[in-house]
Amino acid sequence: MVQINFALKEVNCKVVFYGPGMSGKTTNLEIVHQKAPEENKGELTSISTDGDRTLFFDFMPLDLGNVAGMRTKFQLYTVPGQVYYNSTRKLVLQGVDGVIFVADSDPEKIDENIESYANLIENLAEYGKDVRELPHVIQYNKRDLPNAMPVAELDKRLNKFGVPTFEAVAYTGEGVFPTLKTLAAMVLESIEKVDGRNPRKAAARPAPAGTKPGAAPAAPPAKAAPGKPAPAAPATARAPAAPVAGKAPAARPGAARPAPARPVATAPAAAPATARRAPAPATAPAAAAPAAVRSTRGAAAAAGRVSSRPGRKEAGAARPRRSGTGIVVGVAVLLIVAAAGVAYFFLGNQLG
Amino acid sequence: MADPKRMSQNERLRHDRLTFYKDDIDRIDKLLAEFLRLSGAKCALLIDKEGHLVTKRGELRTIDIDTISALVAGSFAATKEMARLLGEDEFTAMFHQGERDNIQLSLVGDRTLLTILFDDRTTVGMVRLYASETAKKLAEIYREAMERGDQDPGLGEAYGTDAKKTLDKLFD
Repeated sequence: MVQINFALKEVNCKVVFYGPGMSGKTTNLEIVHQKAPEENKGELTSISTDGDRTLFFDFMPLDLGNVAGMRTKFQLYTVPGQVYYNSTRKLVLQGVDGVIFVADSDPEKIDENIESYANLIENLAEYGKDVRELPHVIQYNKRDLPNAMPVAELDKRLNKFGVPTFEAVAYTGEGVFPTLKTLAAMVLESIEKVDGRNPRKAAARPAPAGTKPGAAPAAPPAKAAPGKPAPAAPATARAPAAPVAGKAPAARPGAARPAPARPVATAPAAAPATARRAPAPATAPAAAAPAAVRSTRGAAAAAGRVSSRPGRKEAGAARPRRSGTGIVVGVAVLLIVAAAGVAYFFLGNQLG
Repeated sequence: MADPKRMSQNERLRHDRLTFYKDDIDRIDKLLAEFLRLSGAKCALLIDKEGHLVTKRGELRTIDIDTISALVAGSFAATKEMARLLGEDEFTAMFHQGERDNIQLSLVGDRTLLTILFDDRTTVGMVRLYASETAKKLAEIYREAMERGDQDPGLGEAYGTDAKKTLDKLFD
């Protein structure tokens, strides 16, 4: 959920990349990390298996900069796509403000796409959220596959609520930023929708954050994906507001959902999945990126340790609080001696 | 409190969101500073369950706050699931022990986590003792803030227009 912190003058939002395994969620995040201006991005952290499959989540903070005096930050997460990891996927969805559903254009993956989307609806419902009310977009990834499913067909099978869709080839960067930009705008719009109608109450509001118009990202804007957003225009034209606004509490969209994930049945298939990364043409070139990420993390960890050492030298300063322990030890020794004396006395009497 | 399921979308968003005001944060900061003084811990972070920082006090230096906040929230969420499997509602405290540095987590209210970083200048007992007292006082501040009612001043209309400009600048 959105956190508005008037003391830190910050607005924090949570965005999750969702979708079936190997659809390119982590690749999307890696591209955002590679191409976002240095001062806007934080470290990319992955909790993944040895085979670079996401185990818990990937995480990256993205700082949009100063928006009307409030530093606006997005926390970008990916979920593990494999069916087996539904419990962790659900945890990452907690408090989500916007979702980018990354679908695989491979015709053989259409069922996985549909199942994953139904799983998203189901998991959101467990948090009491209706997907139609949550800002979300769909990205059709791997458009460079020779046998990629036509967008119209994907739309028909997957885009039940007419949300904006984007074509992408995530590993080249194509379509990644347009997808994120649209979703970010929808999330911010959802905040504004709530606040726009609410008149300001000067008394309750802390002093405005020294509004510096130039405080927004000073660096040159991110060089967006090499290719401009693929011709997603026709789909994008369908404003998400329509299905959201007409939020008739109809039957849960999850009615058609497939059977829930059964970890036991899918575990054997999930484990050797590492090998699946290589043959997938869209994800193979991204293999070098996680290594770089890991090295960044290593450096950060090392830096953390170095920083903790000076603190240890100040240890003496906190010690005086323990000066009473001498008295306690003395009293304890006296008690033991007394007890030994009493025991000796009784034993002597008995033996005598 | 109204049932979230019966609220309109706007009401629900407003109900769901976490808003912190300067006066409350000032009080929280004072509490955290006092906690650090008494416990001898290095640093105290207050984080919401979604992994966003609320406020911080103490030595931070090279720590990447955004990342640690996200990981702490993730780790807490994972243990909550473990607790559920054991039939508990949730574990209200967690402790990670390192060679030099340690982390103690305590749930405060039901939406924030008090995260304490400490080293061998103090002991886990001291940290836990004062953390539990501080958590109670923090919960009291939250309760008072809740009782004051909905004062959310919102972000104002300028936020929407400015947001569009910022997004264009960043992504184009």
